[in-house]
Amino acid sequence: MALVTAWWNRVKSAHSVWRLTRLYTGLLLSVVAILLVVLYQLSIGQMNRQQQLQMANIIAQQTLLAEQLTTAQFVEQFELQAQSSRQYILSYQTKQQSIGRLSEAPTLPQCPTLSRFPIWLDQYDEIRLVSGCAQPLGSGTLIVAVDDESLYELKAQFISASAIALCLAILLGLITGLIFSKRVLKRINGFNQVALQVEAGHLSARVAVSEQNDEYDHMASHINTMLSQLQHSFETIAGITDAIAHDLRTPLSHLRQQMESEILDKQLENLPTEQLESMLHKLDEILFTFSSMLELTRLQQQREDNSQNFTNVNLQQVIIDAVDLIEPLAEEKQQLVTLQLPSPLSLQGDATLLFRAIYNLLENASKYAGVNAQIEARLTPNGFIISDNGPGISDSEKEKVFQRLYRIEKSRGVAGFGLGLTLVKAIIQLHSGTIELLDNKPGLAVQITFSD
Amino acid sequence: MRILVIEDNLTTRQYLQKALKEQGYEVDLAENGQDGLFLALEGDYQLILLDRMLPKLDGLTVLTTLRNAGKKTPVLILSALDSVSERVKGLREGSDDYLIKPFALSELLVRIEILIQRKGSNSDKQTNVLQVADLKMELLSRKVFRGNNEVILQPKEFKLLRYLMEHSGQVVSRSLLFEAVWDYQFDPQTNVIDVHMARLRKKVEFDGLPSLLETVRGVGYRMVEQG
Repeated sequence: MALVTAWWNRVKSAHSVWRLTRLYTGLLLSVVAILLVVLYQLSIGQMNRQQQLQMANIIAQQTLLAEQLTTAQFVEQFELQAQSSRQYILSYQTKQQSIGRLSEAPTLPQCPTLSRFPIWLDQYDEIRLVSGCAQPLGSGTLIVAVDDESLYELKAQFISASAIALCLAILLGLITGLIFSKRVLKRINGFNQVALQVEAGHLSARVAVSEQNDEYDHMASHINTMLSQLQHSFETIAGITDAIAHDLRTPLSHLRQQMESEILDKQLENLPTEQLESMLHKLDEILFTFSSMLELTRLQQQREDNSQNFTNVNLQQVIIDAVDLIEPLAEEKQQLVTLQLPSPLSLQGDATLLFRAIYNLLENASKYAGVNAQIEARLTPNGFIISDNGPGISDSEKEKVFQRLYRIEKSRGVAGFGLGLTLVKAIIQLHSGTIELLDNKPGLAVQITFSD
Repeated sequence: MRILVIEDNLTTRQYLQKALKEQGYEVDLAENGQDGLFLALEGDYQLILLDRMLPKLDGLTVLTTLRNAGKKTPVLILSALDSVSERVKGLREGSDDYLIKPFALSELLVRIEILIQRKGSNSDKQTNVLQVADLKMELLSRKVFRGNNEVILQPKEFKLLRYLMEHSGQVVSRSLLFEAVWDYQFDPQTNVIDVHMARLRKKVEFDGLPSLLETVRGVGYRMVEQG
């Protein structure tokens, strides 16, 4: 039931599809209604009209006879006619007598307005409803009625059949509309999913192409081509960054050597070297960024084949070491670092890389959580969580912080190059783990889960 | 003190030669692995600086051949291959240290000093007590005294002080300290070691006692005996 409700909500919220379904059902309904009206007019309507025409004829005939014959002659012929007519019930009422098949005159509207009234019919041996009207004629009143009960029954049947037909039409319209809309929704959702994945940075996501070769497939293959080109461009750009970093490293290293020689020369001559040293420091920052970028690329490419260098790593010890390293830094900002190590955990991995990842997360927490913050490193049964009670990261930025060189706007004042979390993620993925940024309410909790 | 430099890049080779000569070392040069191996086997060097990627004979092969031939000369590998696994490989093959290009000259010189010193003091007596001026460290009981006052240190601070005392008089770099105390092979690239050193100083140099830990600008720290 909940499934149906959820599905219905989804259908309802997809306005275009719901509109299409309504339009389709409406059209189907009107076509069926028009068909039914035409059918009615051709069958029951026709019979009705014929009956009325016949009655009008009878009335006209009797009027004519009443004018031409004497009253006695008229009564005589009328009696004969009333006896002989089976379908039409004729009766002539005067003040003195009642001629014809009705023993008593009911109150009827003047012809051609019809009214229904019950009579006893010998031939059926039952009471039936007949339609009739009264026409003043000579000194009496002519009553003409017709036994149209079967026609009424037919009408009733026709109406109930029509109602059923219309219900079926609505049902059919809704069902086909919903099936259609579900298929359309499914395919459109496919597009949406891919768009979301691409938005989250997974450029390798592609829309599924079916074999129907319809316009959705055309659109899907166009979008896929577009994504492939985008991905190619991105990879080229990433490759260029790496190539630049790689190619510049050697000449920059040589520049560094020359600067160092210069510093040594100046120191021997007792000349000031501060300026050269600050230049050297800046150069070291550039070189560090370059080597981090290259290392990141290597880690991201290594995913499959790096496990041969893995050894058994005691994660508990690595976390203790990392906390030991960060502790005095945190103390400077009056931050409290606590350790929660309920049970030991070891895994196959690279201890140095894991240490770097954990230290990096602790360093981030200390850097961004602010003075007096509380930082916690907790070992879980299949990973660890580093959390703080600082300002945290907004949901919209949670995916982006893993991108290369991305830095949150408000953190631009803090030293760093936007490679830290990307590096952490690459290291965790190298160890078949996942990294999640959660709300610590308040603050940030980084949860690492290893799959084995 | 003779040092052999096996390095194919001319700029780096000349730069190393100049820098080492200024420090008072005698320097021999080889520009490929074959010549380097020949010199290393024939000559008598206190240290070999070995590039990882070399023409004719790869640096790792030079190292293995040297070790297989029974030569125990300390080898410091210089390499642009900075992945951890490369580093581990180099150390496993018998190199004594590993420095990633580009490196700071000061870092290289500190490491050369430590390596040559280590080679010389390998045969030294096993000692249970380290002493620098009035600072005393008992290795077995893990107790530290400044004069008559016991200094309470955390395990990592103890390791830090021990390394500095073992190399007293020598300049040790921040990355050497980090590697010695934490035993992870990378450079944290921040001032975190300075913060640890400041804390250690506060504990060791209390009550206006003379300073034993000296900061060497741009390089690292040195434990000095004063007064």
